Amino acid sequence: MTPGDGTLRDSASAPKRGDTYSINWRLVLSVVVLQSILLVVSPPLVVFALIEVMIFALYASALNLLLSFSGMVSFGHAVYFGLGAYGLALSITHFDFPIALGIIAGPLVSAFFGLVYGILCVQLTAIYAAMLTLACAEVTFAVVFQWFDVTGGDSGISGHVPTMLGLEPYQFGLVVLCVVTVAILMLWRVVYSPLGLTIRAVGQNPARAAALGHGRKSVQLIAFVISAFFSGVAGTLFGIFHGNVFPDYVGILFTVDGLLMVVLGGLYSFGAGIYGAIVYKLLDNLAAHYFEYWQLVIGCIIVIVVLVSPSGIAGLVRRIVSRIGPRR
Amino acid sequence: MLFVQVLQGVMEGIFLFLIASGLTLIFGVSRIVNFAHGSFYMVGAFLTYQIYPWIAEGTALGFFATIVICGLLVAALGLLFEIFLLRRVYHAEELMQLVLTLAAVLIIRDATKFIWGLDDVTVSLPDALAGAAVVGGTYLPTYQLVMVGVGVVVLAAVWGFLKFTHAGIILRAATDDRGMVALLGINQAHVFSSVFAIGCFLAGIAGGFAAAFESINYLLDTRVIVLAFIVVVIGGLGNLYGALYASLAVGILKALGLLFAPRLSMVIIFLLMAVVLLIRSLRRTTE
Repeated sequence: MTPGDGTLRDSASAPKRGDTYSINWRLVLSVVVLQSILLVVSPPLVVFALIEVMIFALYASALNLLLSFSGMVSFGHAVYFGLGAYGLALSITHFDFPIALGIIAGPLVSAFFGLVYGILCVQLTAIYAAMLTLACAEVTFAVVFQWFDVTGGDSGISGHVPTMLGLEPYQFGLVVLCVVTVAILMLWRVVYSPLGLTIRAVGQNPARAAALGHGRKSVQLIAFVISAFFSGVAGTLFGIFHGNVFPDYVGILFTVDGLLMVVLGGLYSFGAGIYGAIVYKLLDNLAAHYFEYWQLVIGCIIVIVVLVSPSGIAGLVRRIVSRIGPRR
Repeated sequence: MLFVQVLQGVMEGIFLFLIASGLTLIFGVSRIVNFAHGSFYMVGAFLTYQIYPWIAEGTALGFFATIVICGLLVAALGLLFEIFLLRRVYHAEELMQLVLTLAAVLIIRDATKFIWGLDDVTVSLPDALAGAAVVGGTYLPTYQLVMVGVGVVVLAAVWGFLKFTHAGIILRAATDDRGMVALLGINQAHVFSSVFAIGCFLAGIAGGFAAAFESINYLLDTRVIVLAFIVVVIGGLGNLYGALYASLAVGILKALGLLFAPRLSMVIIFLLMAVVLLIRSLRRTTE
């Protein structure tokens, strides 16, 4: 793959005439209002599903910052997700933090590990870098899984924080909605800021970006840490949602979930994580309910997306909007 | 004790090489990182379980015949996968290729669950291979020694194929510079397909052999693919001889790790991979 040859990539990130990168507040507001109404009127079971979708939308969006924009592939992103939950749990059980402080500690722990592992991983490129993220993830998983005295090993940690902070499901859903919305808006600001432009430039063509004075390593490291931090926010929320934490949260399955969501959603678009999380979790909840072999279904859908519509759901949405929307 | 453990490691290393060689050959020629390789291995194991009772169960000859047949069946499956799916993404992004093979992992795993269920199954060894030999004061199962022999034979066959046959020369050339091979008028699609089939064949027979010494279930794919990847990465992607040394190193390290620090054996192997990757990158930047 030579840098800058992806037509997909170019069409998604090149500014189109009439497009602005300022936040579409009307859209954000309507989504938030709609989601709030859904949360309030739905029965608890649906509310749980909605909460999970929101948390994973943030996690996948954070991963998407790497995949779509910075030119990196992470095969171990569950580490930063899971360490958010572990950061919360361990700071409370081992350092006697109050819950509020623990919630802040979670994402910071993720960001810290993002920094440490990121420094190693940006030394390499392409598939080798991806393999190193996998190695870091597996080592972390092994430590979490086996350091029984601290992490509780296989049985995890629970009881450190009341499930959903002791709130009603819909109330907690509203809290998650606030946090996730703010976090995703912040990610949007990152992607479409001068920093984001640099990240995208490095992602598309490291050599040209270097010629402009932007070294690949430092820029990718910044993207990596930001992504780890927001994954940690999602993980911390997930830890509070379930009131526990298990080694699985750090494991390869959560990594694969994130990757599949982003590809399903559509690489090289900002919304990939959000669309992907909605569809993936919907399938997870529905298909798993009616059909035992739902991974077969998701596998086939992914194959179709990769072969027929590489721009994923985001591409589909773009096409529909441009067809029915007002002409510019 | 140490000697036996090292021997165990060598055996495991040779076995790993059966899987890793296919993976690294495929990457070398077509630049595809094939996550589904472990799945083909698993299919080989289950097919052996399925077919062995039909072909002279209990005899050593029937056992080997079964494994070869299963290898061919898995190669056919791999060929179908390559022709109908993988071929369409050779020019797409790396990530798309990865995700496609990842999707194949999901599909094959659920299909396996559907066909063979969730429980562990085992293949009983033919009587001729079930004994044990005394080596250095300890018993070593005959079967493991046979597997080492088979591993060496396969290794020699692959080496001879690459070194002396016309197809082998084309494969080596394609690993070096596939554009140039295409310019010489050699049909690239055929090269890619055949290397994929060969890789799957190796994975299939490895799975067949594995079926006889451990219980197999639908989780076999992930158990093996991670280790195979480590081997391939340490050896250098696309480097067959590197993969051989790395298989032996990982096999021995794993066996010794089990002896001295059982809880850390996987961690040690991952650290080895991380260190090799980083050292290689340092050397590249200082050159």
